[in-house]
Amino acid sequence: MLFRQAGIFHTNYAADRALFPISADRWMIGILLLCALAAPLLVNSLYVSSYLLPWLVWTAGALGLNLILGWAGQFHLGYAAVMGIGAYATVHATRAGIPWEIAIVLGGATASIIGIGFAFAALRVKGLYLALSTLALQFVMDWVISHVPAISGGTQATLQAPDIRLLGWPVTSDAGLYYVALIWCVMVTSFMLNLRRTALGRALIAVREKDFAAAVIGVNSFYFKLVAFSTSSFIGGVTGAILIGTFYHAVTPEQFSVDVSIQALAMVIVGGLGSIIGSYFGAAFILLMPGAMNTFISWAATQFGFSFSIETLAHLPQALYGALIIAFLLIEPLGLGKIYSNIRDYLLVWPFGYVKK
Amino acid sequence: MDWALLAESAVNGGLVGLMYSLVAMGIVLIYKSSSVPNLAQGAMTMLGAYVVLAFANNAKAPIWLAIILAIVTMFGVGMAIERVALRRLAGRPIIMILMMTLGLEILLRAGSMTIWGGTGRPMPIGISDDPLFLGPLLINRTYAVGAAVAVAMFALFVLFFRTRMGVVLRAISDDYTAAWSVGISVERGVALSWAMSAVVATIAGVLWASVQGVDQSLAQLLLKGVTVAVLGGLDSIGGALLAGILLGIVEGVAASFLDPLLGGASRDLVDAAMLILTIMVRPHGLFGRHDIERI
Amino acid sequence: MNANTPAKVLSLNNVEVVYDHVSLAIKGVSIDVPEGGMVALLGANGAGKSTTLKSISGLLIAERGEVRRGELQFLGRSIGALSPQERVRLGIAHVLEGRRVFEHLTPDENLIAASAVRGRHDTSRNKERVYSYFPRLHERRTVASGYLSGGEQQMLAIGRALMTQPKLLMLDEPSLGLAPFLVAEIFQIISRINKEEGLSVLLVEQNAVAALEIVSHGYLIESGRIVMHDTAETLKKNPDIREFYLGGAKAKSFHDIKHYSRRKRWLT
Repeated sequence: MLFRQAGIFHTNYAADRALFPISADRWMIGILLLCALAAPLLVNSLYVSSYLLPWLVWTAGALGLNLILGWAGQFHLGYAAVMGIGAYATVHATRAGIPWEIAIVLGGATASIIGIGFAFAALRVKGLYLALSTLALQFVMDWVISHVPAISGGTQATLQAPDIRLLGWPVTSDAGLYYVALIWCVMVTSFMLNLRRTALGRALIAVREKDFAAAVIGVNSFYFKLVAFSTSSFIGGVTGAILIGTFYHAVTPEQFSVDVSIQALAMVIVGGLGSIIGSYFGAAFILLMPGAMNTFISWAATQFGFSFSIETLAHLPQALYGALIIAFLLIEPLGLGKIYSNIRDYLLVWPFGYVKK
Repeated sequence: MDWALLAESAVNGGLVGLMYSLVAMGIVLIYKSSSVPNLAQGAMTMLGAYVVLAFANNAKAPIWLAIILAIVTMFGVGMAIERVALRRLAGRPIIMILMMTLGLEILLRAGSMTIWGGTGRPMPIGISDDPLFLGPLLINRTYAVGAAVAVAMFALFVLFFRTRMGVVLRAISDDYTAAWSVGISVERGVALSWAMSAVVATIAGVLWASVQGVDQSLAQLLLKGVTVAVLGGLDSIGGALLAGILLGIVEGVAASFLDPLLGGASRDLVDAAMLILTIMVRPHGLFGRHDIERI
Repeated sequence: MNANTPAKVLSLNNVEVVYDHVSLAIKGVSIDVPEGGMVALLGANGAGKSTTLKSISGLLIAERGEVRRGELQFLGRSIGALSPQERVRLGIAHVLEGRRVFEHLTPDENLIAASAVRGRHDTSRNKERVYSYFPRLHERRTVASGYLSGGEQQMLAIGRALMTQPKLLMLDEPSLGLAPFLVAEIFQIISRINKEEGLSVLLVEQNAVAALEIVSHGYLIESGRIVMHDTAETLKKNPDIREFYLGGAKAKSFHDIKHYSRRKRWLT
């Protein structure tokens, strides 16, 4: 109905290697992009700036983390620290008078360089130990950011971010900031989509599956781990800078604490390891859930006559968030992306169910 | 340099370190019998302390009874965690298991906050605040008691791992499939290790709570616990004990040097640095099995 | 196959095993092990021998496999729904391929760990029995098992299985990686146990020469199906078995090998 396929019949390699081999997919992407472009006109600006914008930015962040976690298979429990490095570097650079466009690239590069530090941990150890060492690096970064006044901006530890200026034009309207986030998100998404089709992407997957097996067929796993960490850190750093520039407008160490790292990790796990569309779902899910929970709880409270203390209300969404992560791991370990692809697989050939392999 | 002060911070540091070992022992117990790294140990410690308070304040039980009741409750909680969360994950990639323990950490921590609220409360277990005098050194009484309990737990676990049940748990950690093949109930063994670890967490929670009160910061003992457990070697109980002393001393001494230089709070930095150094230089820790590097 | 079959300890009827809901490992496997008998299951790598054993001992759960079709009966009782430890308690012992001793435990502790389903007073008696079959283990009972030689580890693995007081002993390639004289020694001990204790044995082997010497019957499994079943004597004389599993026949051109698959008889 939607896809109108009765199997996939490519007649040449170009068709087989196309980004979206099915025309229905191309249509859907096109319509989605149009909707995304028209969103500031269609939707209340409050929704744009407080839901759509952080969703797009966090999706870019989740994609960057997915690159390292889902593609290269390396743990990273310190992704928020990397984002924080990018954010702080960018804010300091813009405050020093460097144009914003260059400053975010500088921020990304700084994050990338420090991110390689995490990569050296990855070259030495794997699995659990890598997870723990990246966690420790997150703590070190937290500490450095909050204890070095030159970085954190003094005793208040809050640093105002200058307004974004693109090519000299100040971008201050909600719609303008939204478009900045949209452009970045689309850029990261198309990078990730194309990564699958490149030698780099295949090498990363080889390293993920078995790094020494990849090494014996000539994939330099050392080099590719380094590339994966620095690329993902670059994406993370720029995302952090854009998050500050478009959403928070001021930077504090808590915005990039270990809890945020876990949140980013949760986005990837809930969305699905290695799934691009899953990163969109995961980011939306994790960002929207606390608000939805609060609404639901207050609705339930009035409906059934409960009364919760303020403390309970403050912590209950967090507890449910933990419970949801557990539930996802138990029920669908491959996340929302897998659920989507199951539905899609079903609809792909619907109503001709018999053509399925 | 004031040598007396240095010695005092070293001795007290060592005692505090033994209290870290209590947290680390819980991690080691679980790792030793199922190769699962438990990142929820800090939250379990915190939950244990809250459960004790719940029995003491709400059910008006005397504190010793409250502690015993809490230990029994937490034993059940540990079993339940294995049954609900971990049994179905057996054999899955380690990232799923790590994420599961992280999810448990969030659930337990935020869950206790939801039920009991975040304001700090005292945990009166009847240890006086007066320092002990050991020659010229002043020693914190609670630390001394905590250290003694840690050593006692260590002795208990060393004995336990020589009993039939202990041998069975060690067998499980060696080879799940082979354990199944000789009729060992792997699930029950792993559940037992979680339950024991929850009990240790409760004891650690009580002791730490009497030092710093019952609040969310108890969950942050996780970093100390993980550092000590990795430094000692993730599957070595004795390693956890020695590494605890070592970390405590290094932390105590380093803090007395670094705090004036860095403006306080250098303990966490020392922990993180120790953890990174251990993993980079000697991932299997002081006494861990060598093969555990490959997961 | 014979009219007067003795009582069966184990009987598999048309068993089909699937891993991960998709990959079919064995199909339509039917095997009988008579009481006190010794039966060999022969086949090449990946033929499905280990899968067959795992379906009997219930260890498929460790690898996300399941018995999708067919019936498993042990002592006349259907065991398809039982957990591995319940099967061990009934008397099924599985000696895993590649020995798999608990490396960080001493042989003594290995044996203790293996008596989890039996009472405390049985343990010491069983241990003495194991040590009487394998005196070498007694000599080395305090060394970490990881440091034992391959033969000693295999003995320990068999001894560990005996600790569960089995009625059926299943051995998965006990000859793997061992010197021929050790293989002979271990096989001799196995047949001694079989005779002295009336223990039924199901032996999975690639080393068909050694296996056919001690068993009474043999099954041949290929690509997940049983393709041949007969007494050991007949199997030893079968030209195809001689050619492909016993290495007895003289060298042949690969042209002629094709006819083997034509001659092969599918039992199911």
